[in-house]
Amino acid sequence: MIDRILLLILFLIGFYGIIVKKNVIKKIFGLTILNSTIVMLFVLEGSKIGSHVPILEENITPIVDPVPQALMLTAIVIGVCVTALALSIVYRLFNSTGTFDIDEIRSKLYKDEE
Amino acid sequence: MADRMKNNKISIFYKLQIFLAFAAVAAVLLPVFLNDSHWPVFARDYLEANGEEQTGAANIVSSIYLGYRAYDTLGETIVLLVAVSGTIGIISFTGKNLATGYNEDDFEGGNRKNRKRTVLMEVVTGKLGPVILIFGLYVMLFGHMSPGGGFQGGVVIASGIIFISLGTGGSENNILSHSGVLAKIEAVSFLLLVLASAIGLITGIGFFANPFNGNPIPPVGYIILLNAMIGLKVGAGIAYMSVAMLGDTDL
Repeated sequence: MIDRILLLILFLIGFYGIIVKKNVIKKIFGLTILNSTIVMLFVLEGSKIGSHVPILEENITPIVDPVPQALMLTAIVIGVCVTALALSIVYRLFNSTGTFDIDEIRSKLYKDEE
Repeated sequence: MADRMKNNKISIFYKLQIFLAFAAVAAVLLPVFLNDSHWPVFARDYLEANGEEQTGAANIVSSIYLGYRAYDTLGETIVLLVAVSGTIGIISFTGKNLATGYNEDDFEGGNRKNRKRTVLMEVVTGKLGPVILIFGLYVMLFGHMSPGGGFQGGVVIASGIIFISLGTGGSENNILSHSGVLAKIEAVSFLLLVLASAIGLITGIGFFANPFNGNPIPPVGYIILLNAMIGLKVGAGIAYMSVAMLGDTDL
Protein backbone atom coordinates (compact mmCIF):
# COMPACT_ATOMS: atom_id res chain seq x y z
CA MET A 1 0.00 0.00 0.00
CA ILE A 2 2.88 2.39 0.73
CA ASP A 3 4.16 2.07 -2.85
CA ARG A 4 0.79 3.12 -4.22
CA ILE A 5 0.64 6.13 -1.91
CA LEU A 6 4.13 7.14 -3.03
CA LEU A 7 3.05 6.83 -6.66
CA LEU A 8 0.04 9.07 -5.97
CA ILE A 9 2.35 11.63 -4.34
CA LEU A 10 4.66 11.43 -7.37
CA PHE A 11 1.68 12.00 -9.67
CA LEU A 12 0.66 15.06 -7.64
CA ILE A 13 4.24 16.38 -7.85
CA GLY A 14 4.07 16.16 -11.62
CA PHE A 15 0.66 17.85 -11.59
CA TYR A 16 2.07 20.59 -9.36
CA GLY A 17 4.87 21.12 -11.87
CA ILE A 18 2.41 21.50 -14.70
CA ILE A 19 -0.07 23.90 -13.10
CA VAL A 20 2.05 25.98 -10.69
CA LYS A 21 5.52 26.41 -12.20
CA LYS A 22 5.99 29.45 -14.43
CA ASN A 23 9.00 28.07 -16.28
CA VAL A 24 7.94 26.19 -19.39
CA ILE A 25 10.83 23.70 -19.17
CA LYS A 26 9.71 22.81 -15.63
CA LYS A 27 6.20 22.26 -16.94
CA ILE A 28 7.65 19.72 -19.37
CA PHE A 29 9.49 18.09 -16.45
CA GLY A 30 6.13 17.76 -14.72
CA LEU A 31 4.62 16.17 -17.80
CA THR A 32 7.43 13.64 -17.91
CA ILE A 33 6.96 12.84 -14.21
CA LEU A 34 3.25 12.20 -14.83
CA ASN A 35 4.12 9.86 -17.69
CA SER A 36 6.64 7.93 -15.59
CA THR A 37 4.14 7.62 -12.75
CA ILE A 38 1.56 5.99 -14.98
CA VAL A 39 4.20 3.61 -16.38
CA MET A 40 5.25 2.60 -12.88
CA LEU A 41 1.62 2.14 -11.80
CA PHE A 42 0.95 -0.26 -14.66
CA VAL A 43 4.11 -2.26 -14.02
CA LEU A 44 3.19 -2.42 -10.33
CA GLU A 45 -0.30 -3.70 -11.17
CA GLY A 46 1.16 -6.39 -13.42
CA SER A 47 3.56 -7.50 -10.72
CA LYS A 48 0.73 -8.39 -8.34
CA ILE A 49 0.56 -11.98 -9.56
CA GLY A 50 4.22 -12.91 -9.79
CA SER A 51 7.73 -12.18 -8.67
CA HIS A 52 10.03 -13.04 -11.59
CA VAL A 53 10.88 -11.27 -14.85
CA PRO A 54 8.92 -12.52 -17.87
CA ILE A 55 11.96 -14.10 -19.54
CA LEU A 56 11.38 -17.81 -19.61
CA GLU A 57 14.03 -19.97 -17.99
CA GLU A 58 13.97 -22.88 -15.59
CA ASN A 59 12.34 -22.57 -12.16
CA ILE A 60 10.78 -19.14 -12.45
CA THR A 61 7.16 -20.21 -12.34
CA PRO A 62 5.36 -17.14 -10.92
CA ILE A 63 6.36 -14.61 -13.58
CA VAL A 64 4.76 -11.19 -13.60
CA ASP A 65 2.09 -10.32 -16.15
CA PRO A 66 3.94 -9.25 -19.34
CA VAL A 67 0.90 -7.59 -20.95
CA PRO A 68 1.08 -4.30 -18.98
CA GLN A 69 4.81 -4.13 -19.65
CA ALA A 70 4.30 -4.48 -23.39
CA LEU A 71 1.55 -1.85 -23.21
CA MET A 72 3.81 0.54 -21.32
CA LEU A 73 6.45 0.18 -24.02
CA THR A 74 4.00 1.99 -26.28
CA ALA A 75 3.27 4.57 -23.59
CA ILE A 76 6.98 5.32 -23.14
CA VAL A 77 7.43 5.88 -26.87
CA ILE A 78 4.41 8.18 -26.98
CA GLY A 79 5.79 10.03 -23.95
CA VAL A 80 9.11 10.57 -25.74
CA CYS A 81 7.23 11.92 -28.76
CA VAL A 82 5.15 14.31 -26.64
CA THR A 83 8.24 15.54 -24.79
CA ALA A 84 10.14 16.13 -28.03
CA LEU A 85 7.28 18.08 -29.59
CA ALA A 86 6.79 20.15 -26.43
CA LEU A 87 10.52 20.93 -26.27
CA SER A 88 10.59 22.00 -29.90
CA ILE A 89 7.61 24.31 -29.34
CA VAL A 90 9.41 25.79 -26.32
CA TYR A 91 12.54 26.21 -28.48
CA ARG A 92 10.49 28.21 -30.95
CA LEU A 93 8.87 30.29 -28.19
CA PHE A 94 12.28 31.03 -26.71
CA ASN A 95 13.65 32.07 -30.08
CA SER A 96 10.78 34.47 -30.64
CA THR A 97 10.50 35.93 -27.11
CA GLY A 98 13.80 35.26 -25.34
CA THR A 99 12.29 33.92 -22.13
CA PHE A 100 10.96 30.74 -20.57
CA ASP A 101 8.49 32.44 -18.21
CA ILE A 102 4.95 31.70 -19.33
CA ASP A 103 3.61 35.11 -18.24
CA GLU A 104 6.38 37.01 -20.02
CA ILE A 105 5.87 34.89 -23.13
CA ARG A 106 2.20 35.79 -23.12
CA SER A 107 2.77 39.50 -22.57
CA LYS A 108 5.47 39.69 -25.24
CA LEU A 109 3.46 37.80 -27.83
CA TYR A 110 0.41 40.00 -27.16
CA LYS A 111 2.58 43.09 -27.39
CA ASP A 112 3.90 41.93 -30.73
CA GLU A 113 0.38 41.44 -32.00
CA GLU A 114 -0.63 44.96 -31.12
CA MET B 1 3.61 44.21 -15.69
CA ALA B 2 0.05 45.20 -14.98
CA ASP B 3 -0.90 41.59 -15.19
CA ARG B 4 1.63 40.75 -12.55
CA MET B 5 0.35 43.31 -10.03
CA LYS B 6 -3.13 42.05 -10.62
CA ASN B 7 -1.85 38.56 -9.94
CA ASN B 8 -0.43 39.67 -6.61
CA LYS B 9 -3.74 41.22 -5.64
CA ILE B 10 -5.68 38.06 -6.36
CA SER B 11 -3.01 35.65 -5.20
CA ILE B 12 -5.25 34.23 -2.48
CA PHE B 13 -7.76 33.21 -5.12
CA TYR B 14 -4.94 31.85 -7.26
CA LYS B 15 -3.77 29.66 -4.38
CA LEU B 16 -7.32 28.58 -3.69
CA GLN B 17 -7.70 27.57 -7.33
CA ILE B 18 -4.53 25.51 -7.18
CA PHE B 19 -5.65 23.86 -3.95
CA LEU B 20 -9.04 23.01 -5.43
CA ALA B 21 -7.41 21.57 -8.54
CA PHE B 22 -5.17 19.41 -6.36
CA ALA B 23 -8.10 18.24 -4.25
CA ALA B 24 -10.12 17.36 -7.34
CA VAL B 25 -7.26 15.41 -8.95
CA ALA B 26 -6.50 13.58 -5.71
CA ALA B 27 -10.16 12.72 -5.17
CA VAL B 28 -10.48 11.35 -8.69
CA LEU B 29 -7.22 9.40 -8.62
CA LEU B 30 -7.28 8.03 -5.09
CA PRO B 31 -9.55 5.09 -5.98
CA VAL B 32 -7.48 4.44 -9.12
CA PHE B 33 -4.15 4.34 -7.34
CA LEU B 34 -5.35 2.53 -4.22
CA ASN B 35 -7.35 -0.02 -6.18
CA ASP B 36 -6.74 -3.40 -4.62
CA SER B 37 -8.79 -5.64 -6.88
CA HIS B 38 -7.70 -9.04 -8.09
CA TRP B 39 -5.46 -9.00 -11.18
CA PRO B 40 -6.47 -11.63 -13.78
CA VAL B 41 -3.94 -14.38 -14.38
CA PHE B 42 -5.40 -15.78 -17.61
CA ALA B 43 -3.16 -13.87 -20.05
CA ARG B 44 -0.06 -14.54 -17.96
CA ASP B 45 -0.73 -18.28 -17.83
CA TYR B 46 -1.45 -18.51 -21.56
CA LEU B 47 1.68 -16.56 -22.51
CA GLU B 48 3.84 -18.53 -20.10
CA ALA B 49 2.64 -21.79 -21.62
CA ASN B 50 2.58 -20.86 -25.32
CA GLY B 51 4.54 -17.65 -25.86
CA GLU B 52 7.97 -19.08 -26.56
CA GLU B 53 6.59 -21.91 -28.65
CA GLN B 54 4.45 -19.66 -30.87
CA THR B 55 6.86 -16.77 -31.44
CA GLY B 56 10.29 -18.15 -30.59
CA ALA B 57 11.33 -15.43 -28.15
CA ALA B 58 12.16 -16.29 -24.55
CA ASN B 59 11.47 -12.69 -23.56
CA ILE B 60 7.69 -12.66 -23.35
CA VAL B 61 7.47 -8.88 -23.70
CA SER B 62 9.36 -9.15 -27.00
CA SER B 63 7.11 -11.95 -28.13
CA ILE B 64 4.07 -9.75 -27.43
CA TYR B 65 5.17 -6.59 -29.17
CA LEU B 66 6.89 -8.25 -32.12
CA GLY B 67 4.85 -11.42 -32.37
CA TYR B 68 1.25 -11.14 -31.26
CA ARG B 69 1.05 -7.36 -31.56
CA ALA B 70 3.54 -6.49 -34.32
CA TYR B 71 0.98 -4.44 -36.24
CA ASP B 72 0.66 -2.11 -33.27
CA THR B 73 4.45 -1.80 -33.16
CA LEU B 74 4.44 -0.69 -36.79
CA GLY B 75 1.94 2.03 -35.83
CA GLU B 76 4.16 2.98 -32.91
CA THR B 77 7.15 3.51 -35.19
CA ILE B 78 4.93 5.61 -37.46
CA VAL B 79 3.99 7.76 -34.44
CA LEU B 80 7.68 8.24 -33.72
CA LEU B 81 8.31 9.12 -37.38
CA VAL B 82 5.54 11.74 -37.27
CA ALA B 83 6.92 13.19 -34.03
CA VAL B 84 10.41 13.45 -35.56
CA SER B 85 8.97 15.13 -38.65
CA GLY B 86 6.97 17.59 -36.55
CA THR B 87 9.91 18.41 -34.31
CA ILE B 88 12.27 18.95 -37.23
CA GLY B 89 9.64 21.06 -38.97
CA ILE B 90 9.05 23.28 -35.95
CA ILE B 91 12.78 23.68 -35.25
CA SER B 92 13.86 24.32 -38.83
CA PHE B 93 11.19 26.95 -39.39
CA THR B 94 11.84 28.52 -36.03
CA GLY B 95 10.73 32.10 -35.68
CA LYS B 96 13.97 34.00 -35.89
CA ASN B 97 12.20 36.84 -37.59
CA LEU B 98 9.37 37.12 -35.07
CA ALA B 99 11.08 39.31 -32.50
CA THR B 100 14.41 40.97 -33.14
CA GLY B 101 16.70 41.36 -30.17
CA TYR B 102 16.07 37.86 -28.86
CA ASN B 103 18.06 36.03 -31.48
CA GLU B 104 20.13 33.20 -30.03
CA ASP B 105 23.34 34.47 -31.65
CA ASP B 106 23.10 37.79 -29.79
CA PHE B 107 23.73 36.39 -26.31
CA GLU B 108 27.02 36.85 -24.52
CA GLY B 109 29.72 34.24 -24.85
CA GLY B 110 29.85 33.94 -28.58
CA ASN B 111 27.62 31.81 -30.70
CA ARG B 112 25.86 28.68 -29.67
CA LYS B 113 28.45 26.17 -30.76
CA ASN B 114 31.18 27.66 -28.60
CA ARG B 115 28.90 28.22 -25.64
CA LYS B 116 27.80 24.64 -25.22
CA ARG B 117 31.22 22.97 -25.40
CA THR B 118 33.75 22.64 -22.62
CA VAL B 119 36.96 20.60 -22.56
CA LEU B 120 35.64 18.31 -19.83
CA MET B 121 32.50 17.51 -21.77
CA GLU B 122 34.40 16.88 -24.97
CA VAL B 123 36.86 14.46 -23.38
CA VAL B 124 34.25 12.47 -21.46
CA THR B 125 31.59 12.27 -24.14
CA GLY B 126 33.99 11.65 -26.99
CA LYS B 127 35.52 8.66 -25.21
CA LEU B 128 32.22 7.27 -23.91
CA GLY B 129 30.31 7.54 -27.19
CA PRO B 130 31.63 4.42 -28.99
CA VAL B 131 31.25 2.30 -25.83
CA ILE B 132 27.63 3.34 -25.54
CA LEU B 133 27.08 2.54 -29.21
CA ILE B 134 28.40 -1.01 -28.64
CA PHE B 135 26.16 -1.42 -25.59
CA GLY B 136 23.18 -0.17 -27.58
CA LEU B 137 23.87 -2.74 -30.30
CA TYR B 138 23.99 -5.46 -27.63
CA VAL B 139 20.69 -4.37 -26.08
CA MET B 140 19.12 -4.17 -29.53
CA LEU B 141 20.26 -7.54 -30.87
CA PHE B 142 19.72 -9.59 -27.69
CA GLY B 143 16.22 -8.29 -27.01
CA HIS B 144 14.65 -11.68 -27.67
CA MET B 145 16.39 -13.42 -24.76
CA SER B 146 17.35 -10.70 -22.31
CA PRO B 147 15.89 -7.40 -21.09
CA GLY B 148 15.94 -5.01 -24.00
CA GLY B 149 14.72 -4.82 -27.54
CA GLY B 150 14.51 -2.49 -30.47
CA PHE B 151 13.12 0.58 -28.75
CA GLN B 152 15.39 0.35 -25.72
CA GLY B 153 18.51 -0.37 -27.74
CA GLY B 154 17.60 2.39 -30.15
CA VAL B 155 17.40 4.93 -27.36
CA VAL B 156 20.82 3.82 -26.05
CA ILE B 157 22.25 4.15 -29.59
CA ALA B 158 20.75 7.63 -29.77
CA SER B 159 22.56 8.53 -26.53
CA GLY B 160 25.80 7.28 -28.07
CA ILE B 161 25.29 9.38 -31.19
CA ILE B 162 24.51 12.45 -29.06
CA PHE B 163 27.71 11.84 -27.05
CA ILE B 164 29.75 11.54 -30.25
CA SER B 165 28.26 14.71 -31.68
CA LEU B 166 29.00 16.55 -28.42
CA GLY B 167 32.51 15.16 -28.20
CA THR B 168 33.87 15.83 -31.64
CA GLY B 169 34.66 19.40 -30.70
CA GLY B 170 32.66 21.07 -33.40
CA SER B 171 34.66 19.41 -36.17
CA GLU B 172 32.58 17.88 -38.88
CA ASN B 173 34.65 14.74 -39.34
CA ASN B 174 32.22 12.32 -37.72
CA ILE B 175 29.60 11.17 -40.13
CA LEU B 176 27.22 9.93 -37.43
CA SER B 177 26.62 13.43 -36.11
CA HIS B 178 25.45 14.75 -39.48
CA SER B 179 21.72 15.20 -39.41
CA GLY B 180 21.34 14.35 -43.08
CA VAL B 181 22.97 10.95 -42.58
CA LEU B 182 20.73 10.24 -39.57
CA ALA B 183 17.63 11.15 -41.56
CA LYS B 184 18.68 8.78 -44.35
CA ILE B 185 19.33 5.94 -41.85
CA GLU B 186 15.89 6.46 -40.33
CA ALA B 187 14.12 6.50 -43.67
CA VAL B 188 15.93 3.42 -45.01
CA SER B 189 15.38 1.39 -41.86
CA PHE B 190 11.68 2.27 -41.82
CA LEU B 191 11.43 1.14 -45.46
CA LEU B 192 13.18 -2.11 -44.53
CA LEU B 193 10.76 -2.59 -41.63
CA VAL B 194 7.77 -2.24 -43.95
CA LEU B 195 9.37 -4.62 -46.44
CA ALA B 196 10.07 -7.15 -43.67
CA SER B 197 6.45 -6.90 -42.58
CA ALA B 198 5.37 -7.71 -46.14
CA ILE B 199 7.39 -10.93 -46.44
CA GLY B 200 4.36 -12.81 -45.17
CA LEU B 201 2.19 -11.30 -47.91
CA ILE B 202 4.47 -12.70 -50.62
CA THR B 203 4.67 -16.16 -49.10
CA GLY B 204 0.91 -16.21 -48.49
CA ILE B 205 0.75 -16.44 -44.70
CA GLY B 206 -0.43 -12.94 -43.88
CA PHE B 207 0.80 -9.49 -42.91
CA PHE B 208 3.49 -9.59 -40.22
CA ALA B 209 3.36 -13.39 -40.09
CA ASN B 210 6.58 -15.13 -39.23
CA PRO B 211 8.16 -16.49 -42.44
CA PHE B 212 10.89 -18.49 -40.68
CA ASN B 213 9.87 -21.91 -39.45
CA GLY B 214 13.14 -23.44 -38.33
CA ASN B 215 14.29 -24.61 -41.72
CA PRO B 216 16.98 -23.33 -41.92
CA ILE B 217 16.34 -20.17 -39.87
CA PRO B 218 14.60 -20.63 -36.49
CA PRO B 219 11.47 -18.52 -35.86
CA VAL B 220 13.30 -16.21 -33.48
CA GLY B 221 15.23 -14.86 -36.48
CA TYR B 222 12.24 -12.77 -37.48
CA ILE B 223 12.11 -11.13 -34.06
CA ILE B 224 15.84 -10.34 -34.21
CA LEU B 225 15.37 -8.87 -37.70
CA LEU B 226 12.48 -6.64 -36.58
CA ASN B 227 14.38 -5.65 -33.42
CA ALA B 228 17.41 -4.59 -35.48
CA MET B 229 15.34 -2.48 -37.87
CA ILE B 230 13.29 -0.86 -35.12
CA GLY B 231 16.46 -0.17 -33.15
CA LEU B 232 18.17 1.53 -36.09
CA LYS B 233 15.05 3.55 -36.85
CA VAL B 234 14.44 4.68 -33.27
CA GLY B 235 18.12 5.42 -32.66
CA ALA B 236 18.52 7.45 -35.83
CA GLY B 237 15.21 9.28 -35.28
CA ILE B 238 15.80 10.32 -31.68
CA ALA B 239 19.42 11.22 -32.43
CA TYR B 240 18.21 13.29 -35.38
CA MET B 241 15.82 15.23 -33.13
CA SER B 242 18.48 15.76 -30.47
CA VAL B 243 21.19 16.80 -32.93
CA ALA B 244 18.77 19.27 -34.47
CA MET B 245 18.02 20.66 -30.99
CA LEU B 246 21.77 20.98 -30.37
CA GLY B 247 21.94 23.27 -33.36
CA ASP B 248 24.18 21.13 -35.57
CA THR B 249 21.67 21.13 -38.32
CA ASP B 250 22.10 21.58 -42.01
CA LEU B 251 18.37 21.75 -42.59
